[in-house]
Amino acid sequence: MPIILENVSFFYSKNTPLEITALKDVNLRIEKGEFVGILGENGAGKSTLIKLFNGILRPDSGKVTIDGLSPSSKKAKSMIGMVFQQAADQLFCRTIYDEIAFGPLNFGYSRKETEERVLEALEAVYLDRTMLSRNPFSLSGGEMQRVALACALALRPDYLVLDEPITGIDPSGKKEILETLKKVKDQGTAVITVTHNLNGLFPLLEKIIHLQEGRISFQGSRKEYLESENVPLPPIAAMMRELKSSGIQVNPALFTVEEALEEILRVKSIIEKKKTEK
Amino acid sequence: MIRLENVSYSYSDGKPAIRDIYIEIRKGEYIGIIGRNGSGKSTLALHFNGLLKPGKGKVMVKGMDTRDISMLQEIRKIVGIVFQNPETQFIGRTVEEDLAFGPENLCLPPEEIRRRVERVLAEIGLENYRYHSPKTLSGGQGQCVALAGTLTMEPECLVFDEVSSMLDPDSGKLVLKHVKKLHEKEKTIIYITHNLEELHDADRIIVMDRGRIVLEGKTENVLSNPFLLDLGLTPPPLMDLAERLKKHGVMIPWEKTSSPSNFAEEICQLFLKT
Repeated sequence: MPIILENVSFFYSKNTPLEITALKDVNLRIEKGEFVGILGENGAGKSTLIKLFNGILRPDSGKVTIDGLSPSSKKAKSMIGMVFQQAADQLFCRTIYDEIAFGPLNFGYSRKETEERVLEALEAVYLDRTMLSRNPFSLSGGEMQRVALACALALRPDYLVLDEPITGIDPSGKKEILETLKKVKDQGTAVITVTHNLNGLFPLLEKIIHLQEGRISFQGSRKEYLESENVPLPPIAAMMRELKSSGIQVNPALFTVEEALEEILRVKSIIEKKKTEK
Repeated sequence: MIRLENVSYSYSDGKPAIRDIYIEIRKGEYIGIIGRNGSGKSTLALHFNGLLKPGKGKVMVKGMDTRDISMLQEIRKIVGIVFQNPETQFIGRTVEEDLAFGPENLCLPPEEIRRRVERVLAEIGLENYRYHSPKTLSGGQGQCVALAGTLTMEPECLVFDEVSSMLDPDSGKLVLKHVKKLHEKEKTIIYITHNLEELHDADRIIVMDRGRIVLEGKTENVLSNPFLLDLGLTPPPLMDLAERLKKHGVMIPWEKTSSPSNFAEEICQLFLKT
């Protein structure tokens, strides 16, 4: 069973002069095991949308269900692991062990089961066991982000929901987080991530939801996204599209440097061949 | 304008955050600082206006030593810092109040405060948000308010510490556009980032690793240096592509790697001419 949103709308400061429409008539369906990217400009409603998934916010109209359950139910909450952009905002324990153990203990798992989950989650985010006794606030931003991710993974969620997981993290740290997410996905968990980062996360996304002013302006596969108009493209894809529209016969739906290199060289050799034939 | 001489700084646990840093920044320069997490970039940023004092060595801002407490107010009028998370910098209930906070603290006359707030609201394009609470704005607008708050202090030098990392590409470009304009107005710019693409306009780039400066030079030379990969930094995709095309005899000049459309235009010219 999936996450289903039906005609969901959400307003901030409803019925006041400052009312803001954050989401309007949103319909979507996210299955387990999917890797979904939620894209859109700042203020498009992305963060509001994911807060509906675990009942932090409730829709003003429409319906949200998680495997048929209300997002506010304890069962549904145990299925959804959330990681927010500011990792420091969701950390509060004195040691990293307590931090990661907090979720499982609260859902009533035994000390032994909890310990197992803590160690498993720690390993999944590439952190060392010697860190367990350290204070989370003594960590660097990138390490904190990984601890926050471990906290969510310790719940062994069916849906892992992340808000900008690689923002502010350097490329080598990014690579590790991306590997973790890929592994989690391969184990059958849905990974749902809000992102602007069209370079880092883009290659992992299978499905893309693009929000614009609170509405879904695009929903489909990555391939369809690359072919669609009026969506922000990764730099390589944007460049390939420009090439195509200037009359060079390239396949525009490419986004990696390797693919673009190969494609440009292919077209170059065709053009050169034609010239010599003339 | 700013000179760091053999600056070292260690956090309370004794671990050195930056070591033996020597940097000289001239008036009107646009400097990029890059490096992986934990390389000491943000610690360095906090030294530029005395928010941190060097453990060893000294930081001079227009001849004033940041260790001299009596000079701090003067130094902070000259060097303003904009941080990654705009929300941590908001003070006022409305954007207007927020922008007035800095000049109020300088005890400027009310007319002067008003003049500065109006000028900056117009400059950054925030007139329509003046009565909004900064906390209800989107990330990009918020970052513009944080920048505007620094600008009302009329600093000569602005330090940007990962200001775009929380922003979507368009908002990031907006902030970058303001940075560029400020540079054109001869402000000194120190821009710290992970996102190497943003540094296309910088005059010079300093690369940090484990608290030290490991590479320094003209933007073009630094960004195409293969050593960056060993430091855990990835070159911007279009520059990477240009470097690889070069090996196959397709020469894309450096200036053309600044945007997808410039890059495509150059390829068209190369392929379609004659």
